Amino acid sequence: MARTAAAPPVASGRARRAARRVDSASLFVYTGLAVVYLLLPVFVIVLFSFNDPAGKSNFVWQGFTLEYWADPLGVPGLPQAVSLSLLIAFVSTIVATALGTLIGIALVRYEFSLRGATNALIFIPMATPEIVLGASLLTMFVSIGGPPFFPLSAVTILIAHIMFNISFVVVTVRARLEGFPRHLEEAAMDLGANEWTTFWKVTFPLILPGIVAAGLLAFSLSIDDFVITNFTAGKVQTFPMFIYAKYRIGIPVEVNVIGTLIFAIAVGTVGVTTLARIRADARAR
Amino acid sequence: MTPQARAHEEQAIEMANYPESIPTPTALTRRRFLAAGAVVGFGGFLAACSTSGSGATTAPSAAASAAPSGAPASAGAGASPSGKVAWANWTYYMDTDEEAKTFPTLDEFTKLHGITVEYSEVVDDNNSFFGQIRPALEANQPTGWDIVTLTDWMAQRLIRLGWTEELDLANMPDFTANLKDEYKGLAWDPDMKHHAPWQSGMTGLGYDVDVTGDLTSLDTLFTADPRWTGKVDYLSEMRDAVGLTMLKLGLDPEKPTTADNDAAIAEIQKAVDAGIVRDFKGNAYAEDLKSGDATLSMAWSGDMVQALVDKPSLRFTIADQGGMLWTDNSMIPKGASNKAGAELLLDYYYIPDVAALVTAYVNYLTPVKGVDAKLLEMDPEIAKNPLIFPPPDVVARLHVFGPLTEADEAYFNETFAKVTGVG
Amino acid sequence: MGGWLKRHRWVVPYALLAPGVLWLVLFYVYPGIQMFISSFWSGTLETGFTFSLSNWTNYPEALSASSEQFVRSILYAGAATILTFLIAYPLAYTIAFKGGRYKALLLFLVVAPFFTSFLLRTISWKILLADSGILLAPLKAIGILPPEFRLLAEPIAVVSGITYNFLPFMTLPIYVSLEKIDHRLVEAAKDLYAGPWRPGGAIAGIVLGGVLGGVLGYIFEYPVPIWAGVWGIAGGLIGWLFISESFTRITFPLSLPGVFAGSLLTFIPAMGDYVNAEFLGNPSTRMIGNVIQNKFLVQNDYPEASALSFILMAGIIVFVAIYARALGTEALTTGRG
Repeated sequence: MARTAAAPPVASGRARRAARRVDSASLFVYTGLAVVYLLLPVFVIVLFSFNDPAGKSNFVWQGFTLEYWADPLGVPGLPQAVSLSLLIAFVSTIVATALGTLIGIALVRYEFSLRGATNALIFIPMATPEIVLGASLLTMFVSIGGPPFFPLSAVTILIAHIMFNISFVVVTVRARLEGFPRHLEEAAMDLGANEWTTFWKVTFPLILPGIVAAGLLAFSLSIDDFVITNFTAGKVQTFPMFIYAKYRIGIPVEVNVIGTLIFAIAVGTVGVTTLARIRADARAR
Repeated sequence: MTPQARAHEEQAIEMANYPESIPTPTALTRRRFLAAGAVVGFGGFLAACSTSGSGATTAPSAAASAAPSGAPASAGAGASPSGKVAWANWTYYMDTDEEAKTFPTLDEFTKLHGITVEYSEVVDDNNSFFGQIRPALEANQPTGWDIVTLTDWMAQRLIRLGWTEELDLANMPDFTANLKDEYKGLAWDPDMKHHAPWQSGMTGLGYDVDVTGDLTSLDTLFTADPRWTGKVDYLSEMRDAVGLTMLKLGLDPEKPTTADNDAAIAEIQKAVDAGIVRDFKGNAYAEDLKSGDATLSMAWSGDMVQALVDKPSLRFTIADQGGMLWTDNSMIPKGASNKAGAELLLDYYYIPDVAALVTAYVNYLTPVKGVDAKLLEMDPEIAKNPLIFPPPDVVARLHVFGPLTEADEAYFNETFAKVTGVG
Repeated sequence: MGGWLKRHRWVVPYALLAPGVLWLVLFYVYPGIQMFISSFWSGTLETGFTFSLSNWTNYPEALSASSEQFVRSILYAGAATILTFLIAYPLAYTIAFKGGRYKALLLFLVVAPFFTSFLLRTISWKILLADSGILLAPLKAIGILPPEFRLLAEPIAVVSGITYNFLPFMTLPIYVSLEKIDHRLVEAAKDLYAGPWRPGGAIAGIVLGGVLGGVLGYIFEYPVPIWAGVWGIAGGLIGWLFISESFTRITFPLSLPGVFAGSLLTFIPAMGDYVNAEFLGNPSTRMIGNVIQNKFLVQNDYPEASALSFILMAGIIVFVAIYARALGTEALTTGRG
């Protein structure tokens, strides 16, 4: 405090503004570098989807070609692996998001005696190593009675994915719910809406971004999971399992193409929605 | 000294210089032509087979000439072969038509017998695959697979645990007739009632000749040298790493004792401590060799045939002290739903023409008699490749890692885990 | 229905919880209990396993046999968490305070790498950091680096891999926290405290940087004094230029819930990670995850593997409890207050 009182105000004003400009400029430069760092491996993946290796491995750049883009699903087993991964990701996202949102709402909005235990139950799966999650599930599925009750298949993978996704959904939705303006709900109810209507017309739309964020997180966790899926898959194969199996000898270029496509679709989706929102905001002004 | 030597007397292959016989980078394209051409010719052969009712060049086989719905009923679940067979195998282990994205020999099998094959390349590690099927087998439940292909020692374990179906050899005439003699009479399955060898491979030295020069001794793996210190990969497969080390020390891996194991582990630890070893890897060592992160490695023959296409300066050799020989074996796990179909399929791959097509693509050593002769006609370059058809003097230096009791296996795995940093 | 609910309000939270909790109990708790039981087994795969409470010795045995990997996992996960924090905080700060219309886009760019396979990303780092790869080859050609220098198969590659993989996990929670801060508070603080806190910031930066650099140098097995020195100087510069009193007194403390959440979301999975150590490391960089995988799948030593898993989980839970205490109250976990 004494320090600030002693500093002459006029000179430090200009110095302060200059300092702020240096701050801003360096932060922007830093952000640019950070984004480059984040996207560097992605760039490598995309680049190597155009590679033309002589042999089986795709590690050293050997030449440009579009032939793998012409037929990206051209490796036996790849189309099935990709479609299975997508299917499981979609379904597990929807179920986990639903279940997790309900839990999130309950934890934030209500006081009840089992709150501490529920918190623990949500948190501990995130602290468990994936290999333990996978191995324990495998043992359980088989000991229950195996086929026909629980044949290891896409169903068991789905069950496992929903299980580990719930915790992440709860954490994400809860963060959104906590800053939620309750007075809006109270206003709605004062105006005559019952709880059900209030929830769907006021609360839900406002927490929807949080739910969507949770859904995106769950989707990306599911589509990329390897360890747990490996244990619960049985005979089927998902995309990460396919990659790992092929890694030992040589990952086909088609895998890079699929990886790039998934990335591009994700970027495209978000890009389009962001642009739409920016335009809507501009129009509203 | 091993039976391999006797068997290879049949082959009339003259190997003067290894490097001259290494296939050029065009080998891959040639393989594509070969596959396409062979499928056409092979299809014709099979068609001729089934209509005439007698195999011309193969041993008379009821299976090959039977009408699709035929085949004798066998005891056990699933009376006559039909429906589908689910097969779990390693990657790149079945001939593939890269253009049409199918497995030609499997398709021909389906055409011939009406049985669909659900072929899945899901085995990437013996132990993890075992971990997946173990719970079902322990609980006496079907695993969902009709055929699984696993390496020697894991096959031993499955058979020892009684988790494989007994093969009805009456249904497998080609197998009985065409299996090379050196694969018979193994201590862990003397009557070949539980497994059918799929492919064999050699473990030896892989290196970049431009950096290291020609190498012939296992000592190089354990000696510091500016050409390769810090750039040496060892195999993470215990029996290969310890086996090669035993050979380097002059011990016999065919009769592994705990004392020998301790000596080998100590030798490996010395190399690790001296910074010679970069890492212990599975097939991934090939990537290191190709990118230059490693210049010398313990290597598998089949990988190196492929690696040569990507990087022509790579070489594979069985050192003077010797190398290891291993086999991946197909078995029918207990509770398989289509045992008869599986037997038919296993037998099918013991027809030399079929086995030749597989070898031409996969580039490993075949357990089927007569394949080398077939390939001399189809693709002489492959037939002359010493990595796929090693000459007798090389074969004489190959050793199979001896069987271990469960207690010994646990001990060997434990000491090896310690030296690889996970124990 | 509405009336019944109003009279039995207490049912509502339980009804909301029921489906999700049931799922977790069936598919997490029950298998977990089975795992716990199996950690009291003795025996082998072929002779069969038998349960006995006297096998509690599995735990101390497992701990002492793998203590090296446990400690290493803590060090690597800790280093990765600190590095992730250092990279993520300015990034989150820029997006939250200077992002404007591009906030969503920038956030998405942070998360975007997640939409590719993590196996492919790790393999990409193998390509980028190869001994003669695009990064090292030019530096070696010029002579800045000796030809035997390598990044791969070293601790620094493993920690870098982990850092990269968990960057979004750290950035997003910090961003959320920073974004919630009332800007008027920050403005008031900026008016109250004059500009960058130069001498104080510089000193804090030198000290923190030096300590951090020294610790990282030790973990990566590089010369500690050099690392401490370089990091100290860098820290001092950053402290001098950027750290203001308004930041240390207002902004940073308000962002602590996000820092806490982000650190946990990074440290915990990093502790159990094994893929980075497997792809990018060498035998002396193996983490506890590698040991558990080996014990489970290769040695089929289920009792010890289960015991190690529970020790790992217990350690994580203890750590989280201490961390929560140190950073404030339990309110941090809920983000309120």
